[in-house]
Amino acid sequence: MRNYTLKQYLLLLVAIIIMMVFLFPIYWMITTSVKPMSDIFSSPPMIIPETIQFDAYYKNLIQDQSLLPYIRNSFIVAAGTAFLTLLLALPCAYALARFRLMWGNIFLLILLVTQMIPGIMMAMPLYILFSKIDLVNSYLALIVGNTTNALPFAIVIMRPFFLSIPKGLEEAAVIDGCNIFTAFFRIILPLTKPIILTVSTFSFLFAWGDLIFALTLATDEKVRPLTMGITKFIGQYGTQWDQLMAVSTIAAAPIIIVFLLFQKHIVSGITAGSDK
Amino acid sequence: MYGQMRNKFPQYLFLIPAALFVAMFMIYPIVYNVIVSFQDLTLMNLKSGAKFIGWDNYINILQTERFGIALKNTIIYTSACIFFQVVIGYLMAAFLNQEFPFRNFFRSIMLLAWMTPLVITGSLFKWLFDVDYGVFNYLLTTLQIVDEPINWLGQQSTALTAVIITNVWIGIPFNMILILAAMQSLPKDVYEAAKVDGANKFQTFLNVTLPLLRPQLMIILVLGIIYTFKVFDIILIMTGGGPVNATQVLPFYGYELAFVNFNFGESGVIATVILFILICIALLYLWMIKKEEAQ
Repeated sequence: MRNYTLKQYLLLLVAIIIMMVFLFPIYWMITTSVKPMSDIFSSPPMIIPETIQFDAYYKNLIQDQSLLPYIRNSFIVAAGTAFLTLLLALPCAYALARFRLMWGNIFLLILLVTQMIPGIMMAMPLYILFSKIDLVNSYLALIVGNTTNALPFAIVIMRPFFLSIPKGLEEAAVIDGCNIFTAFFRIILPLTKPIILTVSTFSFLFAWGDLIFALTLATDEKVRPLTMGITKFIGQYGTQWDQLMAVSTIAAAPIIIVFLLFQKHIVSGITAGSDK
Repeated sequence: MYGQMRNKFPQYLFLIPAALFVAMFMIYPIVYNVIVSFQDLTLMNLKSGAKFIGWDNYINILQTERFGIALKNTIIYTSACIFFQVVIGYLMAAFLNQEFPFRNFFRSIMLLAWMTPLVITGSLFKWLFDVDYGVFNYLLTTLQIVDEPINWLGQQSTALTAVIITNVWIGIPFNMILILAAMQSLPKDVYEAAKVDGANKFQTFLNVTLPLLRPQLMIILVLGIIYTFKVFDIILIMTGGGPVNATQVLPFYGYELAFVNFNFGESGVIATVILFILICIALLYLWMIKKEEAQ
């Protein structure tokens, strides 16, 4: 353990204050959800809740279970997106890092360009395409939509990772009688655990928070994810802020949990994504 | 040549699944948007097929007052957001670039603002901006900055500002992380040299840090413009484009045309305009890099 000077402890104090001010909205969301109605509308606003109660959670999770299917749908879509993204991105990023392919650089450029297009502009053509092949209102449509969002990012951050693996590994494997496929599956894939974790965390979180494809590609309540559930509650609850903030906290909980578990991977993913 | 292709075929197999996916679900939609912008496609003739109608959709859209407003708002929104995100992000990065206990924890905990789904952030800020019970109005009236509570989202003059504030909050940690990573990659010895030469903090910032960070700051700026340009979710949740188009932006306008009016052709026009603007930004960026390298 390093010894810090007094000045460094003062910096820590400033950091705590900055964090408290900056993250106040999240704190406010959580505290609003556990306050009784009268305290929510108290003036001045009650910064530290006096009575804590979980009525809003009880109502939305146990008494009225209409929220649960939304949560299930969100999990299916987010996990499916993470899976499809990995399935496509892993071999692709590997090939782009290892092989000298004629189309490799062009493909990388196309990925960077398509990533710039707003998701909502992709939604209309995908809606028309999917309605022609009767895929609107399916988990698959939502998974494909969200994968368009996650795939470029996944490939862009995976490629440098493969570049950092020494080439000698596969060469040795080939001498031992592997072809490029078995070398990839047996030698390279087991090494990719950290980057798989980063990419799947990101694609899961992207898909979990998606509203655009949920709004446009799923008009049927049966497959609609939680983000659409929240927009429904916004209409239904109006200014019943305790209910709305409870639903929001429930939807944010997986994000906060995943975030706390994988924060190291998330930070490294963001900085790698902008490196090119 | 043929033999070479054949040798490389197993290697191309790695690329093919992703390439097919990108071609079908990413490039095709972009091309489709451009094509459909010249057609009279609506929900009615979706199955039977639409006719080409030349530039009619473009003429219709460009004549509406809404398009001009949406374009203007998108530009104001993007530039204001980028400016404040980068400046505040820079200040926070400079702060976190100092050595103190738990600083990595603070660096990543801020990201919660960026990771939270936009739907949630939107409804949360709607509550914070509430006229009667919102925290922002309470602060402003108690500190006597304003006399009357402001109806942030309910009036034309302040709605865009409120949405901008929300998005600045979302974007700060993202910019901070990137700027901090760039700062940490800077060589340490130039700072010592600057100290020896007697430069003060501001001079060091102006003459050492800023020129060294320029290439990375440019990437961050371009990334920021592209991400901010996409604004949709928080508009839908917080204002729905209103009141009276005060927060109407291009992506939201395109959405309304396609999924509220079901006029796919006109929505294609908006998508094509957005594509055109983004290509211009990308080209400008490439040109700036070239110029930089030539120097």
